[in-house]
Amino acid sequence: MIICIILLPLIAGILVPLLPFHKRWYKELFLEGAVILNSILVWYLLLHHSESTFLLAHFTGDLNISFRVDGMSMIFAGLVSGLWPFATLYAFEYMTKEEHENTFFLFYTMTYGVTLGIAFAANLLTMYFFYELLTLVTVPLVMHTLTREAILASRKYLYYSLGGAAFAFIGLIMIIVYGNSTDFILGGVLNLAKVGDKTNILLFIYVMAFMGFGVKAAVCPFNSWLPQAGVAPTPVTALLHAVAVVKSGAFAIIRLTYYSFGTDFLRGTWAQTTVMIVVMFTIVYGCSRALKETHIKRRLAYSTISNLSYILFGAVIMTPLGLMGAITHLVFHAVMKISSFFCAGAIMHQTDKRYIHELNGLGYRMPWVFTVFTLSSLALMGVPGLSGFISKWNLAEAAVDSNNPLAYAGIACLLVSALLTAIYMLSIVVRAFFPGKDFDDSAVQNVHDPNWKMLLPLCVFTAFIILFGIHSQPIVNFFYRVAAGIY
Amino acid sequence: MYLILLPILFPILAGFAILVFPKEPDRRLLTATAGTCLVITGALVLCTLLSASQELMLFHLTETLPIYFKIDETGITFSFLTVIVFICAGFFSFAYMKHEQNEKRYYGFYLMAFGVLNALCFAGNLITFYLFFELLTLSSFPLVLHTGSKEAIMAGLKYLFYSLCGAYASLFGIYFLYHNCDTLTFTAGGVLKASAASAEGRFFLLIAFVMILGFGVKAGMVPMHAWLPTAHPVAPAPASATLSAVIVKAGVLALIRVVYYIIGPDFLRGSWVQTAWLTLSLTTVFLGSMLAYREPVLKKRLAYSTVSQLSYILFGLAVMNKEAFTGGLLHVLAHGFIKGTLFLIAGAIIYTTGKTRVDELRGIGKEMPLTMWCYTIVSLGLIGIPPTGGFISKWYLATGGLAGDIGIFRYLGPAILLLSALLTAGYLLPLTIQGFFPGADYDYTSLHRQEPCHLMTIPIVLLTVLSVLIGLFPNIVVAYLTNFVSTLL
Amino acid sequence: MDFVCNFPFFSILLSLFSGTICSILPGKAAKVVNRLVLIAVGTMSGILLLYLLGTGESFVYWMGHFPAPWGNEIRAGVLEAGMALFFCIIMYLSMAGGAHKLFDEVEESKHNLYYILINLLLSSLLALVYTNDMFTAYVFVEINTISACGLIMIRQVGRTIEAAVRYMIMSLLGSGLLLFGLCIMYDLTGHLLMSNIKESVALLMQNGDYQIPLIVSVALMCIGLCIKSALFPFHAWLPDAYGYSTVSSAAILSSLVSKGYIFLLIKMIYRVIGFDIFNNTRIIDVLFVFGLMGMIFGSLSAIKENDIRRMIAFSSVAQIGYIYMGFGMGTQAGMVASVFHILSHAATKSLLFIAAIGLTEVSGGSRKFIDLTGSGYRNKWSGVAFTAGSLSMVGVPLFSGFISKLLFAQAAVQVEGKMLAALIVLGISTVLNAVYFMKTVIRIYATTEDAPYPCMTFKDMKPYAVVLVFFIIVNVILGVSSQPIVNMIEQGLAMFA
Repeated sequence: MIICIILLPLIAGILVPLLPFHKRWYKELFLEGAVILNSILVWYLLLHHSESTFLLAHFTGDLNISFRVDGMSMIFAGLVSGLWPFATLYAFEYMTKEEHENTFFLFYTMTYGVTLGIAFAANLLTMYFFYELLTLVTVPLVMHTLTREAILASRKYLYYSLGGAAFAFIGLIMIIVYGNSTDFILGGVLNLAKVGDKTNILLFIYVMAFMGFGVKAAVCPFNSWLPQAGVAPTPVTALLHAVAVVKSGAFAIIRLTYYSFGTDFLRGTWAQTTVMIVVMFTIVYGCSRALKETHIKRRLAYSTISNLSYILFGAVIMTPLGLMGAITHLVFHAVMKISSFFCAGAIMHQTDKRYIHELNGLGYRMPWVFTVFTLSSLALMGVPGLSGFISKWNLAEAAVDSNNPLAYAGIACLLVSALLTAIYMLSIVVRAFFPGKDFDDSAVQNVHDPNWKMLLPLCVFTAFIILFGIHSQPIVNFFYRVAAGIY
Repeated sequence: MYLILLPILFPILAGFAILVFPKEPDRRLLTATAGTCLVITGALVLCTLLSASQELMLFHLTETLPIYFKIDETGITFSFLTVIVFICAGFFSFAYMKHEQNEKRYYGFYLMAFGVLNALCFAGNLITFYLFFELLTLSSFPLVLHTGSKEAIMAGLKYLFYSLCGAYASLFGIYFLYHNCDTLTFTAGGVLKASAASAEGRFFLLIAFVMILGFGVKAGMVPMHAWLPTAHPVAPAPASATLSAVIVKAGVLALIRVVYYIIGPDFLRGSWVQTAWLTLSLTTVFLGSMLAYREPVLKKRLAYSTVSQLSYILFGLAVMNKEAFTGGLLHVLAHGFIKGTLFLIAGAIIYTTGKTRVDELRGIGKEMPLTMWCYTIVSLGLIGIPPTGGFISKWYLATGGLAGDIGIFRYLGPAILLLSALLTAGYLLPLTIQGFFPGADYDYTSLHRQEPCHLMTIPIVLLTVLSVLIGLFPNIVVAYLTNFVSTLL
Repeated sequence: MDFVCNFPFFSILLSLFSGTICSILPGKAAKVVNRLVLIAVGTMSGILLLYLLGTGESFVYWMGHFPAPWGNEIRAGVLEAGMALFFCIIMYLSMAGGAHKLFDEVEESKHNLYYILINLLLSSLLALVYTNDMFTAYVFVEINTISACGLIMIRQVGRTIEAAVRYMIMSLLGSGLLLFGLCIMYDLTGHLLMSNIKESVALLMQNGDYQIPLIVSVALMCIGLCIKSALFPFHAWLPDAYGYSTVSSAAILSSLVSKGYIFLLIKMIYRVIGFDIFNNTRIIDVLFVFGLMGMIFGSLSAIKENDIRRMIAFSSVAQIGYIYMGFGMGTQAGMVASVFHILSHAATKSLLFIAAIGLTEVSGGSRKFIDLTGSGYRNKWSGVAFTAGSLSMVGVPLFSGFISKLLFAQAAVQVEGKMLAALIVLGISTVLNAVYFMKTVIRIYATTEDAPYPCMTFKDMKPYAVVLVFFIIVNVILGVSSQPIVNMIEQGLAMFA
């Protein structure tokens, strides 16, 4: 079943350029059908999963490729499979203006399978495998426009990701050598008897592996690939560089921290302090850079950088509550950021404007898009009643609960970042809705909202932003059970 | 039971409906709708205040974060002020907004802000309060930048970001309080766990200070007062009136809620936080008056005056005894009516003459006698000359200060209040003098009466009368306030 | 003794003999002979491997039934047989892959000469693999050098001659040092046969005699072989030699010739000096440090290069560094990793060379990156193959490079003092690998729409494409089912002792 889920998008992707679609419409139907079918299968699996591990192949010795459904993978797979059909729908409309559609959908759909592979990986090796694969299938998407800028961006993306994986790999080796197994078990698999007096070395390796996986999660100083990768078509930036790829980085760090090294081993050590400082710095750094950026998508990308570090901040608190906060933000941020990116994409699609100073007065011309954008901005700021507030609340409560003075400072970072978020997001909103007295309305006379294929995803995501904000209890409870190891 | 939601949801939904109405409607229709909505909301608030049901657990944001409304005396006091000022200023704007654009947007946000303020008054716990505190900022900043000039937009953003900055600083505190309180429901005397207060007392003092600073932003307390003199003058006059009379009071309300209902005055009394707070508020009182004194533009002068007057209230809160607290609440009302009037008058002057600077307004008293009479009366009130509302409140503040156990501030406080009162006279009365006695060299031939229309004068007169009434018959209010303050402190 | 035991001897002799025959055959026939020999030797090695896996122990083969010290011995274990088989496969694929280019690169009349050299090279490699006698080893080292030199020079372009001269000088220096060390060793022990020397060395170590000369001799032999296998900093000859020779030569030279020397070094370490004695000398530390430096500096040079062939050549320097790092760890695990990397690198590097030629072909013969832009679309097969090779080099799972990285890292963790250095350099080197290989991959897929060069389709190059596919398959087999191979290596190393 799991294999089927992972393979289906891969095969569907490969079929796209091979099958002769006479009309674009057929292709859309085929892809959307495949993606929705797969999402349904994923949800079916999540609801009827068994605890057993599915072993695909032995690699070497006791290393194997195997899959399992546990709490974390349920969350990540559920998230990804929830977003993908909408993102695909959006992509159909967006890609009408771009070239090489087939290549795009080939890799776009394949990425779905690979991301699910990461989600369902039962051990560190499997996850590493799909993690590398993810880099490879997404590079063509970044390269897609084949402009000089895109080439440079994809190069950087590759260097960073593969380089990061190289250091994460060392962490994998440590787990292989010093762990009981590489399987993911909440609480860690380190064999303390084997570790003996090498604690410090292991901590060092942990920091290295953290930074390695952190490359995908855009931890400072390894974040510059993300804004550059914004040259990719917006569905990619929105789904991959705000959710699937970068969240895989965060997901991998959570796996590494909670399921491999184990929080008991790490909590209170200098390694925790180090990574926490890095993460806190990134939170503030990302926001400040977003403030300076005038290109919409790059601004959002910097915002992603900062928000990813929220997730990591939760993760490095290294308590169940911290994990819960991290998961909450992982899911909620995905919805918020994908909707703001989709708005940016809709703006670019409808108007070809990509700088913030060009957005004056568009709010009245594209009311739906900008209403959604406003809501997602408010959610990102953490206005109560929207989802961002809940996730920040959970993160902050975890930090307070941890009794770690550094985590207290982390809360301050979160709030500084919230303020900066307000500045860089709301300045766009204000521009769009309050263009000022001298604004000449005739310049944007022809602009209007995009069609339903773009609006539907936006509305659905917005509905979820509000739903999570107002009625988050069931889902947060589920997260808590996952974090506490009940699932 | 759900009645309590009506005065909150009705104006918000009405405002929202006006906002999303697809085309700019006929002006008459618009004002009629907005007016009806305002009156209905006012009636709803009254109904709610009088009704039996006083609390409502609406729903849970998360398991431990309930959205909860409860009506108590503090809320009633603020809600009373809100309703009156909002309705008066609302009707004033029907006339005033003729010369502005985008009225639909204005009334939409005006109504939403109204609803949010009602919710703020009725909020029963800190989370609900914080929710509406943020929404208040978001719904009121479009009012500030309404005119759409570059200056106004920058001012609007400044207001927005200062307010958010304050809100986030207090959110920092809320995170810790939530963890160390049994509940965040407003409870007289505070809910901070005794264990936390004793074990990590120094830390919680710091938290309290951060929250005071944070909520103090909205109340224009030094050092984060800079938004206030920028934002008030650029907003349309009725919006400035509500801003200055009510919306900034949300900061005061927040401080009351946090200090008296969550942290508890006993925990802070005598600590360095109290000292710092007193220092800051007195500095603001003096600084605001000084700045107002040397400010030539009328609305800006009034804005600085607001900075100063708000810190009178904060001083009253910081003293933490009954008299001062009562004085603070009285000053909330008195200053609300007075400053509302003053801003509306400034609006009326701008609307009729187009003049903004005080030195341009020689002889204005001859042109607009009724308006200027109102101006004079409320100015006297703000200075604190009996028998106006300002006198009563300042009296209570001063006696409270003298009776307080606050070291040197016992004397310093009243002294500065007095000094500031003098300055207040210095910056408010020149307009009266110039207005009524333009001097011998004034060219009387250019004078012609140009009293504004009734839609403007009636709210002004109404508010003036109210401010005088408080001074003339303070007993009802004072009795009400002292009665409940004695349960609080 | 089973008949199979004759196979090592047969294969050496067969390839030597076929070399001589080729001299009188025309080019085409020489090619056929060469292929047949490769297939025959490969088959024999395969059978031998199976036989050895069956018996589970190595055997010694007396040439002409003279026992030592008069006779010459051949020794075959799992590792030797496996290596011989693997060398044949890679060589066959390299020859097949480069065959169509041969006409452009080498004069028609010299084709048979080319195959003579190839056959000689094969025989010398096989001899290096199988021999149990140090002097025989030396002789074949020289034969190897000469034939390799010829292979470089046969493409008569100015730079190849220069490269060949350089290669010759460095190689001779290397073999000179080897000979020197050998002489000292002979002086100390009085033997040339590996097993005999080992006994004497063990005796010497036990008595504590002649320690310094012994170390010097070992060091000299090591350095000699290091020079020949292009360990940093003795790699100056390499980029030109690999970069400008014919494509098959480059593939064979980089993946096989240097590996032959390295295999000889492994043999020396185990069979002549003794693993433990060798590990107790400082020499392994030197090898370790040079290995690490090679990993970094080789890659750095490769990054600076803008000629695809030379870049791949420099990458070899880095990869050789990996192998020596494995030696330098001084553990069984490190050795296993190194041996595996010999296989993995041989498979990958020849793939890269062969794929690169396909790319340059559709870029007007230019090897500069700027001309290669978009060549991955013009020659899809080469593009995919090059990408696969690059990914293997970077160490992406599923490919052989990942397994060798895994083995190296696992080995490194077990060595107390060298762990962090090895791991960090491993990480950095991966990053650097990613930089230059991925840069190239992206380059070949970045289109210039109006490239003036023709496209190649499958029809134009059937054999070539098939070779590429085989290469990828070999690579993936190494990457996916590495466990039996690793077991075999462990078994083979155990047989050495």
